[in-house]
Amino acid sequence: MSHSGLRITDLRVNVAENEILKGINLAVEPGRVHALMGPNGSGKSTLAFALTGHPRYAVVSGSATLDGQDLFAMSADKRAKAGLFLSFQYPAAIPGIKVSNFLLATRNAVKPGDLPPAKFRQLVMEKMDLLDMDISFLGRYLNDGFSGGEKKRLEMLQLAVLGPKYAVMDETDSGLDVDALKAVGESVNAMRADPSSNHTGFLIITHYPRILQYIKADRVHIMIDGRIVKEGGPELANEIERSGYDTIREETALHA
Amino acid sequence: MPETLAARLNEDVLVASILPYYVDRKERLDAYAMYLRTPSGRERPGRYWKIDLDKLDISGHELGTLEVKLPASLPPGVVCIQLAEAFERYGTTLPWFGLAHGKFAALTHAFVNGGALLYVPAGTIAEEPIQISYRAQNGAVFPYTLVIAEERSQVDIVESIRGSDGCFVAALCEVHAKEGARVRYASVQELPSDAQTFSSRIAAPQKDAAITWATADLGAHLCVSSIDVLCNATGIEAEIDALFFPHDDQHVDLTTTVDHRVGESRSTTLVKSAASGAGQARYLGNIRIQPSAHGTEANLKDDALLLSKDAHIDSVPALEIDANDVKAFHGATVGAIDEDQLFYMISRGLERCAAEKMIALGFFEPVIERFSSQGVRDRVRAALEAKVTA
Ligand SMILES: Nc1ncnc2c1ncn2[C@@H]1O[C@H](COP(=O)(O)OP(=O)(O)OP(=O)(O)O)[C@@H](O)[C@H]1O
Ligand SMILES: [Mg+2]
Repeated sequence: MSHSGLRITDLRVNVAENEILKGINLAVEPGRVHALMGPNGSGKSTLAFALTGHPRYAVVSGSATLDGQDLFAMSADKRAKAGLFLSFQYPAAIPGIKVSNFLLATRNAVKPGDLPPAKFRQLVMEKMDLLDMDISFLGRYLNDGFSGGEKKRLEMLQLAVLGPKYAVMDETDSGLDVDALKAVGESVNAMRADPSSNHTGFLIITHYPRILQYIKADRVHIMIDGRIVKEGGPELANEIERSGYDTIREETALHA
Repeated sequence: MPETLAARLNEDVLVASILPYYVDRKERLDAYAMYLRTPSGRERPGRYWKIDLDKLDISGHELGTLEVKLPASLPPGVVCIQLAEAFERYGTTLPWFGLAHGKFAALTHAFVNGGALLYVPAGTIAEEPIQISYRAQNGAVFPYTLVIAEERSQVDIVESIRGSDGCFVAALCEVHAKEGARVRYASVQELPSDAQTFSSRIAAPQKDAAITWATADLGAHLCVSSIDVLCNATGIEAEIDALFFPHDDQHVDLTTTVDHRVGESRSTTLVKSAASGAGQARYLGNIRIQPSAHGTEANLKDDALLLSKDAHIDSVPALEIDANDVKAFHGATVGAIDEDQLFYMISRGLERCAAEKMIALGFFEPVIERFSSQGVRDRVRAALEAKVTA
């Protein structure tokens, strides 16, 4: 299908009346991994929130489609039901809601009635095992008192349990130890290859090429000041690691 | 003809009332005078709060019937009987109304027309919770509950308050926890939405005793409650866990007071409240640490969640600390549901109203978990869920 993919076209987004995204074009095909890098404040999280429908992020113009469906015509919960998932850079802590209940409620929301309870439990156990999470997490309140790395693991667990078509991972690798990073890599690789989880396509926002040692990126995009200024293969991530964003800034300034 | 409260006081019917023993006419009249002259100390009517508790005219209420259900089987030595029978059996040997103070405790004292005595002998550990159920039928009722837990005894009480439409309940509960005793008193109030209720709960733990009050005020149009713990000895562990949730045009006024008069005791107060519709509430959390109460540890935390623009909760922590060398902590929050929490949940596929509901219910969980009986926890959750959905 020609319109499959998560397609972002000429996207402009304002936050509190300031233009943050100044025309973004990007397309993620099923089963593909795109890395999005860029300096602090360049607009990476803004892109993630605008796609998922956070009320603070106002889409000024442009479009985003998920396998042909207009994302901006849908409420945030409908976008999730359509198969979009955001792994938060800073996941909210919600006291009083148990992880187990939340997993069940959200799975039922995005894929109603597709798994009998026993199968669902089995799925959760498998994924927790894969992410090396203790089952005691199920009885804890959502992100409440979790360490930074534990929050990120819980994001990955939800991603694996919900099995979306497209996932935006906003700095999921920040704060993870080496073992967890490896586990995240395995989880992502399994999902992109797995037909039963729709060959998930990934947009991985990161500051470090390290995660790309575990997940082979098909494409790397560099965002500076609300624009994608450079694109390339996985080697681009290492180039950034070596020489920072200044050279790219200079190049773009020259081109401008 | 059902008799009104005014008639009941003015006529000599009291002498022949169902509780002739102990609470005589003079004692009732004194208590009533006390009720009339004591200021409520409660919220004045204003922009949000609409009811003047100092000008409440109760004399026209009809006296109702109080149905009291008590457990049929009890651990050996434990006594749990109707109040009338208890007055007959124990006469002046028990400290009836010994802790009562405040306007609304005096009201119950004046008109008491039923209740229960629970007596737990020294060293007795009651494994199963003792269930005390009150039901107000057709009018005003005045339940009085006296709990005496002797040295090193342990008991868990679950009180439930229900009633018929339009009922009026003024309840008083006193707990004497003797040295080393451990008492948990949970109360769930689920009166109909046009009822009025005033309740006073007072505990006086002795050395090394532990008392926990866990209350859920869920029903009634007007609910005025006070919970007091008097810490007059060392080694006391006092805990107050309270939740309430006015919706529609319900009014709730709760005051908790932990009075540390002697040091080396610990208290924790945890209050969670939400309001929706035009629900109104006032919470006053008093912690007093008197000059000689060295080594006291007192904690007060209250969180209020506003679920609509017309809902209002005034939350006032009041710490009076007159001793050095104490640890006192308080924290209070009032606010609407956090947008970031909400978006987190919605972005995972939950509809906005479902997410709000989950957050609101989850908000109460830290208090709900303090109710020791699973049955009570589930009842409270179900009642809260009905309110969130309403
Ligand atoms: N509520 C807000 N009000 C004003 N400016 C905002 C608001 N939220 C974000 N911004 C601004 O938008 C810009 C982009 O922020 P964004 O969070 O998208 O950056 P980022 O690329 O994700 O950065 P980081 O790598 O640090 O996570 C920043 O300059 C930020 O200060
Ligand atoms: Mg960011």
